Amino acid sequence: MFKYDYYRAGTLDEVSEILARHQGKARIVAGGTDIMVQIREKDKRWEDLECLLDLTFLESELRYIREEGNQIHIGALSTHTDLERSEIIKKWIPFLGKAASTVGSPQIRNRGTIGGSICNASPAADPLTPLIALEAKVVIHGKAGEREMGLKEFYLSQGKVDLNEDEFLKEFVVEKLPEGAVTEFVKLGRRKALAISRLNVSVVLMLDKEGSISYARIAPGCIFRTPDRVETAEELLIGKKPSEELWKEAGKEVSDEMIRRTGIRWSTEYKQPAVEAIVEDALAQAAEMIG
Amino acid sequence: MEKIKVNFTVNKKPVTVEVNPNERLLDVLRDTLRLTGTKEGCAVGECGACTVILDGKAVTSCLVPIGAVEGREVVTIEGVGADGKLDPIQEAILENHALQCGFCTPGFVMSAKALLDENPDATKEEIRRAISGNLCRCTGYEQLTIAIYEAAQQLKEAQKAQI
Repeated sequence: MFKYDYYRAGTLDEVSEILARHQGKARIVAGGTDIMVQIREKDKRWEDLECLLDLTFLESELRYIREEGNQIHIGALSTHTDLERSEIIKKWIPFLGKAASTVGSPQIRNRGTIGGSICNASPAADPLTPLIALEAKVVIHGKAGEREMGLKEFYLSQGKVDLNEDEFLKEFVVEKLPEGAVTEFVKLGRRKALAISRLNVSVVLMLDKEGSISYARIAPGCIFRTPDRVETAEELLIGKKPSEELWKEAGKEVSDEMIRRTGIRWSTEYKQPAVEAIVEDALAQAAEMIG
Repeated sequence: MEKIKVNFTVNKKPVTVEVNPNERLLDVLRDTLRLTGTKEGCAVGECGACTVILDGKAVTSCLVPIGAVEGREVVTIEGVGADGKLDPIQEAILENHALQCGFCTPGFVMSAKALLDENPDATKEEIRRAISGNLCRCTGYEQLTIAIYEAAQQLKEAQKAQI
């Protein structure tokens, strides 16, 4: 059993002070749905843990989902249940709500937060791909104040995000999608509940007046070292009319890109057809919503 | 590692505990408060046996650091039902033979109660979703779904009768 202290902070600045004082040996806890499991499983990363710093008493500072002009701001302490139920998310970026609704179980969604999910930096985090598709920005709070950067750049590698010792993730900022855009999230897990994604994908589609695709986003999860869109697959859709053939081409381009970036691996035999199929499904389901 | 003092309410009673900071809500419920109705199964949030209601929401108490419940309200299986009577959810589980070994049952009851407290009109589909974080390895889920649905109907009728 690891031994560590437990602290709460009264203000955002105090969070940074405590983090700085412990020089990397304090870890933030919010819902605890990842860190408590890692501690229980004696994950070597936490052998030297000096304290858990609980953010859940900073709800008024960090738990919100609000519209500000053309942007949506999502506080890091928003739970997956909050995202799933948010009318703002349902209206403007529904695939983020759908992705959140597939996380773990009701108990996990009631505790787990979007900030924790991203900072745990699992490539299989469900809310990750919608945020990547939306080119989300993250706002980071530290002793020197706040800084903003792209989520894509924030995610450095599995288990590692771009935070200095005194810093923590405060919120996500996304631009609203253009009017008429539809979104879809499709996940492949080993069972219905409590499944960690084997693969997932988030897509956005929009048609122009002539019924040709004018806007496309495809962000697959679990296949790259760091999360990303597949812009070549998006470009392939632009200017064309929706068709099964076209979805197949886009799926093929995503799997080709996977192999270009990560090479042929032991899992490729499975991942190649599977990723093609979920990209096709997601695009077809999104296109159906346009009607 | 200094002990910490945590004040919260369990089943509407205020309690203060002085415990190690690395204890979980589950440890404190079972070992300090001797409320052993809450079970420890997997200890990693996957089985739901340790489900309790924290500020109105079902949570797995194995993943809650004890410090996080300061000032909050916890309801455990010992806190459902009133005046020496079982909760309608428990009655319906007995009625429908929805348990065998019983180890998962408290967790199911708490998940079901969190759902029905919030949404007494829950459909069977909503019930299935609400108990999707609870594992049962002997009875299966159909009897539980039926039992919880029946309990919901009874609760609604009881509410109507009151009005």
